[in-house]
Amino acid sequence: MLHFFVNWLAGTPSFAAPYALAALGLIVSERAGVLSLGAEGFMLVGALAGVATELQLGGYPAVALLVAMLAAAGVSLLFAFLVVFLRVNQVIAGLAIVFFCHGLTSLMGTLGGWTNRAITGLHEIAIWPLSEIPIIGRIFFTQDLVVFLTIPIFFLVNYVLTRSMLGLRLRSVGENPGAADAAGVSVSLYRLGAVVVGSSLIGLAGGYLTVVDVKLWVPDISGGRGWIAIALVIFARWQPWRALFGALLFGCIEALIPRIAAAGIQFPQYFLLMTPYLVTIAVMVWAALTKFGRSNEPAALGQPHVREERR
Amino acid sequence: MLNHTVPLARDVVEPPANSAGGGLRLGRLNLEVRQHISPGYQALILACAVFVGLGLSAALLIAAGVKPAALFDEFVVESFTDSESLHSILFQAAPLIFVGVGAALAFRVRFWNLGIEGQMIWGGIAATTIPFYEIGPPAARLPLMMVFAAIAGMGWVMVPAWLRLRWRVNEIITTLLLNYVALNFLLHLLYGPWLDPKDNFPHSPQFKAFERLPEIGWGLSSALVLALVFTALSGWLVLSTRFGFYTKFVHDNDRMALAVGVPVRTVTLISVLLSGALAALAGFVIATAQEGRLTQSYFEGYGFSGILIAFLARNNPIAAMVVAILVAMLFVSGRSLQVFYQIPFAMVQLIQAIIVISVAASEFLMRHRVHWVR
Repeated sequence: MLHFFVNWLAGTPSFAAPYALAALGLIVSERAGVLSLGAEGFMLVGALAGVATELQLGGYPAVALLVAMLAAAGVSLLFAFLVVFLRVNQVIAGLAIVFFCHGLTSLMGTLGGWTNRAITGLHEIAIWPLSEIPIIGRIFFTQDLVVFLTIPIFFLVNYVLTRSMLGLRLRSVGENPGAADAAGVSVSLYRLGAVVVGSSLIGLAGGYLTVVDVKLWVPDISGGRGWIAIALVIFARWQPWRALFGALLFGCIEALIPRIAAAGIQFPQYFLLMTPYLVTIAVMVWAALTKFGRSNEPAALGQPHVREERR
Repeated sequence: MLNHTVPLARDVVEPPANSAGGGLRLGRLNLEVRQHISPGYQALILACAVFVGLGLSAALLIAAGVKPAALFDEFVVESFTDSESLHSILFQAAPLIFVGVGAALAFRVRFWNLGIEGQMIWGGIAATTIPFYEIGPPAARLPLMMVFAAIAGMGWVMVPAWLRLRWRVNEIITTLLLNYVALNFLLHLLYGPWLDPKDNFPHSPQFKAFERLPEIGWGLSSALVLALVFTALSGWLVLSTRFGFYTKFVHDNDRMALAVGVPVRTVTLISVLLSGALAALAGFVIATAQEGRLTQSYFEGYGFSGILIAFLARNNPIAAMVVAILVAMLFVSGRSLQVFYQIPFAMVQLIQAIIVISVAASEFLMRHRVHWVR
């Protein structure tokens, strides 16, 4: 029984990391007022870019993750151009970007011959001597590089968002772009920057899925994780630490699925595979039910800023 | 008329105009919010956008290895001259009309129904229960399958609709995630109790002849007739009834509608339920007219196509039918590209996304007037 729990908890961070990184990226862009519905698409782009880089270079998983970030940031420029400069409806633009990335990645995966080819990927690091501590060593100190990096990334982003001038301006753009504009903050520039930085984090989450977790590319590998991350951000009320907590919760649930099968418990597997989606919906209902007072939702989320338009 | 022009400072890359005199005077972009646009000009912009989207797609196809001459032949000449491919386009159009009109009905009340694929899955499953458990006499099978499918689709969309109306839970995410739930349930059935015992493949046993939608002559399927009937009914409902007027009211300003006594919730709910029913009928049509059984991927790609059709048709059911036929043309051409050039079918999805992006981007020109000032 102890063995079961240790394996389950030790597996949790690697399932939680993509959710945490994607949710953090979404928070960055949504705090600036851009509803990044394209998350699923950016994840797919990051996932394919990671595998493609590793296959082309024959290794270097860290470089692959970096390329995953850059690729997602690159595609997000198109999205940012649509919603920030052309003021396209953010829902339409986000959906179009998801399907654009969906089509693009399955096409390029096939044309480039990257589909269904195993890669070596990133391995776990055991921090000796801490990793020798029974139970705790296995759970906390035997993880991969990205999991270890996720915590400092969270500290950094949280600090920048809440304690720096940059973060104050970014949030002001998401709360009241008109006032921010009047105060001399460039709404377009901040939104563009937030989308690109946020998407690169989402791309890292996608790259993590293929380079670290599955070590393989198949079309639609993200399987709705981008959408779950969007729900997670609503659940977290746009606060990074709550998002990390939510990601751990989802990581726990997802890590349990292979454990149940491995422990030989008979349960129809397809019903098990439904659970993350059902839990997400439950969590969204819970978030909606407990929304008393201020919800922290950026007031101008999803609203284009047109200086010339009188409201 | 809003006539003052404000410079787009910091919005668009702006050369240092009027500064320090002399030097390079490139001028700058001025942006004006339009209060009105003539329908003709609007249509022109839309046509240009579609043309740009198609141009980009053509460039992409050529880059992927299709010869430019063959491109025109494959997409335009073949579609209209070859009777076989004309038939397959009309055959393909039926489910696309269903999803397009279905999406339009939901979007008319500002409900983002992204769960079309899930509703199609449930339509297929519900329709298949009739032949699988041999419910009803042979003559009643098809109508029963259709009714079951529609009810299942309504039931599946009821969950997000109710969550949204009751607790304002964002339907974009709930409808989308329910697709994955429906898919897993379908796989459970197909790999479990509904596995075809004849060949052990993950699809349901073949339907009998009287459980399949018949042909009506000239190689046309009755699926198309059904699709046209439902389009006409939806068109009538939306364009010439009180209910249709209410949907327009809810779309434009739901708080105002509520204030003047429009039953906003009821109108929204009915429109969304009809949307779910039509999406489920698309699943029914594919199962009974095309595949003749329940398979594991018959719904793939229809969700986005439905959104695209409704978006391009401006949520008008009659226009959606026309757009659906054009998208069917794209589907059929995409399949022949797959066969002759080994270009994955994902290309079709990419082309659709490019067209949506360019049309959405063109709305910028419809809403704003841009001019260059020296």
